[in-house]
Amino acid sequence: MPARRMTFVEALVEGIREEMRRDPNVFVLGQDIGPFGGSLRSTLGLWEEFGPARIFDTPISESAAAGLCIGAALEGLRPILDISFGEFLPSAMPQLVLHAPVVHWLTLGKARVPLTIRTKVGEGPYGGHPQCFEAWFAHVPGLKVVMPSTPADAKGLMKSAIRDDDPVLFFEHMYLYHGVRDMVPDGEHLVPIGRADVKRPGKDVTVAATAWMVHRALQAAHQFAAEGVEVEVLDLRTLAPLDVAGLLASVRKTGRLVVAHEAWKIGGLGAEVAATVAEQGFGYLKAPVVRVGAPHTPVPAHPTIRRAFLPDAQDVTNAVRAVLKYSA
Amino acid sequence: MIEDPKQGLAMHRWMVLSRALDEACCQESAHWFPSRGEEAVPVGTFYGLRPDDVCAPGDRGSPIVFVMRGVALTQVWPGALGKRTGFGRGRHFSFTAPIELRVLPYIAGDLGPIISQATGTAFAQKYRKSDAVTAVSFGDGTSNRGDFHEAVNLGAAWRLPIVYVIQNNHWAISMPLEKATAAKRLADRAIGYGIPGVAVDGNDVLAVHAAVQEAVRRARAGHGPTLIEAETFRMRGHIAADTASYRSAAQVEEWQGRDPIRRLEERLLAAGVLSAEEAQAVWAEAAQEVGEAKAAAQRHPDILPTDLGLDEIFSTPLGGA
Repeated sequence: MPARRMTFVEALVEGIREEMRRDPNVFVLGQDIGPFGGSLRSTLGLWEEFGPARIFDTPISESAAAGLCIGAALEGLRPILDISFGEFLPSAMPQLVLHAPVVHWLTLGKARVPLTIRTKVGEGPYGGHPQCFEAWFAHVPGLKVVMPSTPADAKGLMKSAIRDDDPVLFFEHMYLYHGVRDMVPDGEHLVPIGRADVKRPGKDVTVAATAWMVHRALQAAHQFAAEGVEVEVLDLRTLAPLDVAGLLASVRKTGRLVVAHEAWKIGGLGAEVAATVAEQGFGYLKAPVVRVGAPHTPVPAHPTIRRAFLPDAQDVTNAVRAVLKYSA
Repeated sequence: MIEDPKQGLAMHRWMVLSRALDEACCQESAHWFPSRGEEAVPVGTFYGLRPDDVCAPGDRGSPIVFVMRGVALTQVWPGALGKRTGFGRGRHFSFTAPIELRVLPYIAGDLGPIISQATGTAFAQKYRKSDAVTAVSFGDGTSNRGDFHEAVNLGAAWRLPIVYVIQNNHWAISMPLEKATAAKRLADRAIGYGIPGVAVDGNDVLAVHAAVQEAVRRARAGHGPTLIEAETFRMRGHIAADTASYRSAAQVEEWQGRDPIRRLEERLLAAGVLSAEEAQAVWAEAAQEVGEAKAAAQRHPDILPTDLGLDEIFSTPLGGA
């Protein structure tokens, strides 16, 4: 398949653009997504192509916008809701956790909510609104939660999310937005929801990671290669439902697991990953599972304490060394 | 004077049926939300809408709207009795109507989100350039939620084809309206959204219907939403088991004299549209119909543990669209 080099956000927008061309029921709404082009250019070019009939700038009303999407979806449309930043998700919580995920089950499958909610999280050059709340949503039955780490996955998962008949919460990492550039297949490139991906194979340790932490894990893996240690980097990609089979297959091979995410460690998704492996793959483990995540403080503003707060490649390296101490 | 006798008689029958169904539900469950005394609001609001219009009735008095949309009483009872044949198969708090009848389900137990969901169906109607409209009703208590503000503001800003109806029954469980807001009239809130606000006697079904129909005409013509406050009164407690000891008997007594069904009946009698015998027959038939439907539903199969629907969470299976 022909491919072009593009940034993470360009890949996201390409996925949306292709799906909008394909299906007139797909529309986008959110704050500043029209002529402004979206916060951090999240919708750049869509207004020029689709205009006011398909692109809707909303007032600062996240909850009403989310509810509007549910109603529109019940009438057969396929909304894409751009919630500028993850920090604003709590404003729409009733619609996102009590309502949208329940409809299919409640109506015995007669009604569906094909809704894609995209939002920006994590550290980035911009510095604002970096709250990572993804674990809250992974906890809720009926929501699919995805968090890609590469431009190709960003496009492929976006297209799958828009075609999915269930509500999909799409977490877009702000550092990756303009900071990662890679080849993205043209046209019909679909990445399945619910499948993790081995971004670097290895036999000694599995690092299961999300978003930017995937890149930090790859960095750590590169360094360990010089020492003769083969780190397998497993990009979870879909956080709910977890790809349990993919996770167990990797741990069966390596016998050691580190889970790394930028969100708080306590109650984070890493806890679910670790518990799943403890329950279903205990026999594979040669060492305790170690988690890498942010300390339990609110996200600080100043760069100095922000650096102290954020997990980085060194934290992944330390965690890998910790699990390597245990011999087979 | 009754302008349209056929319509008056129809709404009379729906209100009587609503009361009979509600009384039976109260006997069945101590947790039922009684609607006695408020029948004119759901009936007057949702009567006469087109099949492609969307109805989002508030939970107090919603079952009659299901029936008005075409759900048979024999289909309503299985849900109320928690039978397997109910539309929600035991997954819903109370019961709901099939989505294909364009009645929005009450998805969760919190109040307010349905206002923006209804705004969303109106959005879809406009997106598709149809002239269908949406009507949504909710209580005075719910109108204090941020959901109300965000939804009505958005519906107004985008001139969506929707009618917002506040079923003001003066009580939010134990909280009286005058303690919940300093506003004298809830319809006045419309001013802040730049849309018409209409206060109407919510115990006069013909007045409710006329006000809603006027708003529906505006919406169909592309002029956007209307906010209607229909003032009525919650004659019983919040739930069937609630004795409502927190409020004065005098207030309840005062509203007793304004019963919406009796008021319409008197007008129909005075206009010579309905005879006393016919009126009695309407009440008797309603009670009989409700009783028979309930008896039939009681024989329906019970919910099974497997109805939990573990593998019915998602519509699109994992691993690809």
